Amino acid sequence: METERKTQVVLAVLTMGFAALAINFVRVPARAGVEKRAPLILPGSLAIVPGTIRVSAAQLVASGGDASGLQCYACHDAKKPPEIRYDANHRVVLPKEHLDLIYGMRNCSECHTPDEGVKIEYNADGVVIIPDAHRNLAHMAHGRYLRNEDCFNCHVSTQLDHLHTPEGLVVGLDQATQLCAGCHGTQYRDWESGAHGRRNGYWKSSAGPTVRQECTSCHDPHAPAFTPLIPMPAPHSLHDPRRNPS
Amino acid sequence: MTRRSFLRTSTVLATGAAAIAAGLAPLRKIGHYSSVEEFLQKQYKELSPAEMKVVLTRIEGEVERQYGIRPHVRDYKPMSGVQFVYALNLSRCVGCRKCVHACVAENNQSRNPEIQYIRVVKLPNDGSFDLESGDVNYTPKSVPEAGFFYMPIQCHQCHNPPCVTVCPVKATWQEADGITVIDYNWCIGCRYCEAACPYFARRFNFATPSIPKEQINPKMSYLGNRPRYKGVMEKCHFCIQRTREGRYPACVEVCPTGSRKFGNILDPDSEVSYILKNKRVFVLKEELGTHPRFFYYFDI
Ligand code: HEC
Ligand code: HEC
Ligand code: HEC
Ligand code: HEC
Ligand code: HEC
Repeated sequence: METERKTQVVLAVLTMGFAALAINFVRVPARAGVEKRAPLILPGSLAIVPGTIRVSAAQLVASGGDASGLQCYACHDAKKPPEIRYDANHRVVLPKEHLDLIYGMRNCSECHTPDEGVKIEYNADGVVIIPDAHRNLAHMAHGRYLRNEDCFNCHVSTQLDHLHTPEGLVVGLDQATQLCAGCHGTQYRDWESGAHGRRNGYWKSSAGPTVRQECTSCHDPHAPAFTPLIPMPAPHSLHDPRRNPS
Repeated sequence: MTRRSFLRTSTVLATGAAAIAAGLAPLRKIGHYSSVEEFLQKQYKELSPAEMKVVLTRIEGEVERQYGIRPHVRDYKPMSGVQFVYALNLSRCVGCRKCVHACVAENNQSRNPEIQYIRVVKLPNDGSFDLESGDVNYTPKSVPEAGFFYMPIQCHQCHNPPCVTVCPVKATWQEADGITVIDYNWCIGCRYCEAACPYFARRFNFATPSIPKEQINPKMSYLGNRPRYKGVMEKCHFCIQRTREGRYPACVEVCPTGSRKFGNILDPDSEVSYILKNKRVFVLKEELGTHPRFFYYFDI
């Protein structure tokens, strides 16, 4: 009798203890997460810009943009081919009139979205000042050993707004790819099959147009080495001090 | 009934009820069961077209309530005669991370906490090829940096995916066009797949994802870029909502160097077919036998 009572008392105490614990467990509210929120991605870096920083003559013409920079005979005399000048080191001198005619005429908003906050600045004549990020054509620099500096390797001296290949094919300024193909067969072959350069739009051509980027959409013909890019922000780990500043 | 037996019975009953309530308590913390319909929803592959329609409309409503923007959620099906393959040119990539951020924007990845499908690893160009010595946090003024090359890594859409094998509830599987997908409504968040993936391609939503309203991409797919819930896995799905319409994925669209190549390997004229035939390609961790659909290659 004695032991039975003891057992029952112990059991009852235990049961009540567990019940109290269980009730307490239910009543404790779900712990609120630490809500310290800092912006993790720079505003503006989200816009999908068409990764290529350059506008080619072909793109400019195709988009119906202002291509007056390509009208060579607005400044030059049709009867007299311009004379190429050289500096003391026998490097071709590029006249300042030729600094990136293509960008100056370009609508910046075609690539930049408003929230990126790209400022458009104008000089005294109301001409857009080209930001450093876009300035490629500061000097002639075709190839590591500068072996292709002569303007008339590519431009036709008597027909300035046309290009000619080593085989003598003459094409318009907006068909530069044919020109490049004449000297860079390997890259051209890869480009034709999609391995070099970039295709945009549709991989399935029956579903929509596949756009092949021309050589000059990425390479400045006058300084074709790829320009260095500003990297976008690095990932932020969960325990990053930037996220939880103490 | 004696007083004692009454007390005993009621204590036992109360304890039982309290224990059940305690056991169910974690359910209250699962924010994403917004409705009974959602709780009772079938697995993706068991949904009839009519049921799917109801589910898609319900999800559109959920997204609208949460983000204040009415999306268009569709269920894109694989195309017949299509096997997707991805190729990435390591001799061209400059490590600019445009792909990473284009992917975030296209696929409605959480901005805070941050989720990104693509990791770009900077590796010393000394022939060692040791992923452990890689750096993902590089922040120089401009890229590329001399003496390094860059290796972006994302889901490799393996033919033989370990992540699918380990899933205890069949919430992730491989589709006919080769994309391994996740049913975010079926995933229980056990993270086995994350542990099984040798490429560190899967991401877990530890917290409720947050995306500013004006940055939501309203073109969504069920298995792809619709907003995820807290407690589920996600990963690269080759931009299902783009590629199953015939378009290139977002990362291919923005790559300034043209290092990223995507297409149908069953089409002999596609760029990926040309690359696999003519370039020196390799896959990451070949010895594991995962047979990735994601190839790396070098020029020449
Ligand atoms: C805004 C006016 C302007 C336009 C447009 C223009 N040029 Fe010129 N160009 C000049 C000036 C000024 C010079 C330097 C003086 C000179 O040699 O006549 C020059 C010089 C040249 C030279 C000689 C380079 C050197 O070393 O001095 C070549 C070649 C040339 N231009 C080609 C072209 C071609 C090709 C086009 C069309 C795509 C073109 N130019 C359009 C103003 C222009
Ligand atoms: C063909 C598309 C395109 C056009 C047109 C364009 N940009 Fe850009 N711009 C870019 C890209 C891409 C970058 C990023 C460069 C990088 O990553 O290094 C950039 C970078 C810049 C930057 C530097 C931003 C930074 O983060 O430092 C400025 C400033 C800029 N652009 C201004 C302009 C202005 C002004 C115009 C109009 C004259 C213009 N852009 C036209 C594509 C374009
Ligand atoms: C490698 C071939 C090549 C050489 C060498 C070359 N050009 Fe060009 N040039 C082109 C091509 C191609 C275009 C069309 C531009 C485009 O599509 O972006 C062009 C465009 C131009 C333009 C108009 C667009 C712009 O970018 O301003 C001018 C002006 C010009 N060239 C002047 C010159 C001058 C002056 C020289 C010599 C100092 C020269 N070019 C040397 C290939 C060449
Ligand atoms: C007349 C022949 C010729 C034509 C036309 C020509 N190139 Fe070149 N290109 C060369 C030579 C020569 C080199 C230098 C090789 C060297 O020095 O290593 C070169 C080098 C290059 C390089 C490597 C640059 C570097 O710094 O590593 C690129 C990129 C390039 N060309 C792109 C183009 C593009 C784009 C076109 C068309 C607009 C073009 N080339 C047209 C002859 C040509
Ligand atoms: C999507 C951009 C893009 C397009 C379009 C493109 N290229 Fe390139 N090209 C590159 C990059 C990136 C490099 C790497 C070289 C560098 O870092 O300067 C390169 C390198 C080159 C080189 C140097 C040799 C080599 O293989 O590294 C040549 C020559 C060249 N390209 C020619 C061409 C020609 C010709 C075309 C058109 C048929 C073309 N490219 C189209 C991005 C492009």
